[in-house]
Amino acid sequence: MELKCIDSPIISAGGVIGSTASNHEVKAGSNPSPALQSIRAKPIPPVIAKTVIVKNHYLHTFPAATMLCFGAFMDDRLLGAITFGCGPANAYRMVEGVTQEDCLTLSRLWLSDELPSNSESRFIGICLKYLKKYTQVKFVVSYADPEQGHVGTIYQATGWIYTGLSVATPRVDIGDGVLRHSRSISHSLGSHATGFMRDCGLKTKIIPQSRKHRYIYLLNQECQKMLKPAILPYPKLSGRSGE
Amino acid sequence: MNIVDIRLKKLKPSPWNPNRMEEAIVARLKSSLARYGMVEPLVVRPISDYYEILGGNQRFKLISEIGLDPVPCVIVDLDDTQAKILAQALNGLHGEDDLGLKAKILTEALQTISPKELISILPETADSLKSLSQINEIDMAEHLQAWNKAQKGKLRHLQVQLTSDQMAVVEKALNLILPEVKAGEASSPNLRGCGIYLICKSFLEWRDRQ
Repeated sequence: MELKCIDSPIISAGGVIGSTASNHEVKAGSNPSPALQSIRAKPIPPVIAKTVIVKNHYLHTFPAATMLCFGAFMDDRLLGAITFGCGPANAYRMVEGVTQEDCLTLSRLWLSDELPSNSESRFIGICLKYLKKYTQVKFVVSYADPEQGHVGTIYQATGWIYTGLSVATPRVDIGDGVLRHSRSISHSLGSHATGFMRDCGLKTKIIPQSRKHRYIYLLNQECQKMLKPAILPYPKLSGRSGE
Repeated sequence: MNIVDIRLKKLKPSPWNPNRMEEAIVARLKSSLARYGMVEPLVVRPISDYYEILGGNQRFKLISEIGLDPVPCVIVDLDDTQAKILAQALNGLHGEDDLGLKAKILTEALQTISPKELISILPETADSLKSLSQINEIDMAEHLQAWNKAQKGKLRHLQVQLTSDQMAVVEKALNLILPEVKAGEASSPNLRGCGIYLICKSFLEWRDRQ
């Protein structure tokens, strides 16, 4: 999707007290254009979301751990999709005293270029508002991949908290050239310990992965006090960006 | 455009046509032809004493079965290369459905026609028709409330790896506790899970008594 420049000043991350529905509304919902107001978010079956995401999202994959899928509709047309899943196993640990069920990961977002500018902010905002009102999810995590030239412009525009670069779990090549997550190895072999895999006769290679910009959106403000990572200033776009 | 009716015996499929159709889709095409007739003419070119079909080869295979003769055709006069290119264009150039609009059409159609009948004509499967018809049907708030409720009741997975010796001990303990689980009021439909829970609970209670 084409990069949308955010004209209005972005709340500086240093000044972000918390990502709240209200500061989201200030950014993208206080005075939306009639076109933006006509965007509707509706639940869509995973198979429909998969069709849209695999075809259009730059990763062309659909996350296995997807739990919620919403479509972006305008005049009955399905012009985008967003997915939320349980995401990285340790993501919930960023907030003290919560369980995995308190956290969702915004795993994929794609919107058609046919939608007006700032539709991403509007659509994400609608979905977060619904999550806040109708579920007990306390916070949402999302990532922006610097290797793709992404810094998380949309998250910045919608008042997410920036917590720096994630710790990237290396992938494991067990000799067949396929990069597997350690969890996948554990599922197959029972453990992903290097010594254990060596004893199994596997020549493993650890392949480091790139770290990603990590953002958090708090649906429950109580989590602000329990947030473990420091709140950092938003990273800036440098040069060309794929966002 | 000149549309003429041509007898089936004067038509031949193109031997070079690369387009293939799965049996399930052929069956749907046949249903569609039987229901609506030949609403789109074949595209043909004259070759000596017959006409070669450039567009509509799949339909041609079914026409005789449903008793249509003659059939409407558009005649084009093209050389081999141009004929093959046109056939490819006819087969390959088509738009893509907007799933939202498609869902709306199908949902409206389902008001007057049964899913089974619809599936017999369209490329949809029962599952894809169900998924498409769910679009626009589900209310966001209701959906999230139901999801939230399901999350609360969801059983959690605990994955552990054990050596054979450890496994034997765990199995022995589970076999001893299972009659108690079955006799009592289980807090979850997973009996072995309840067994592990009771063993852990007993351990914690024992530790507290020490």
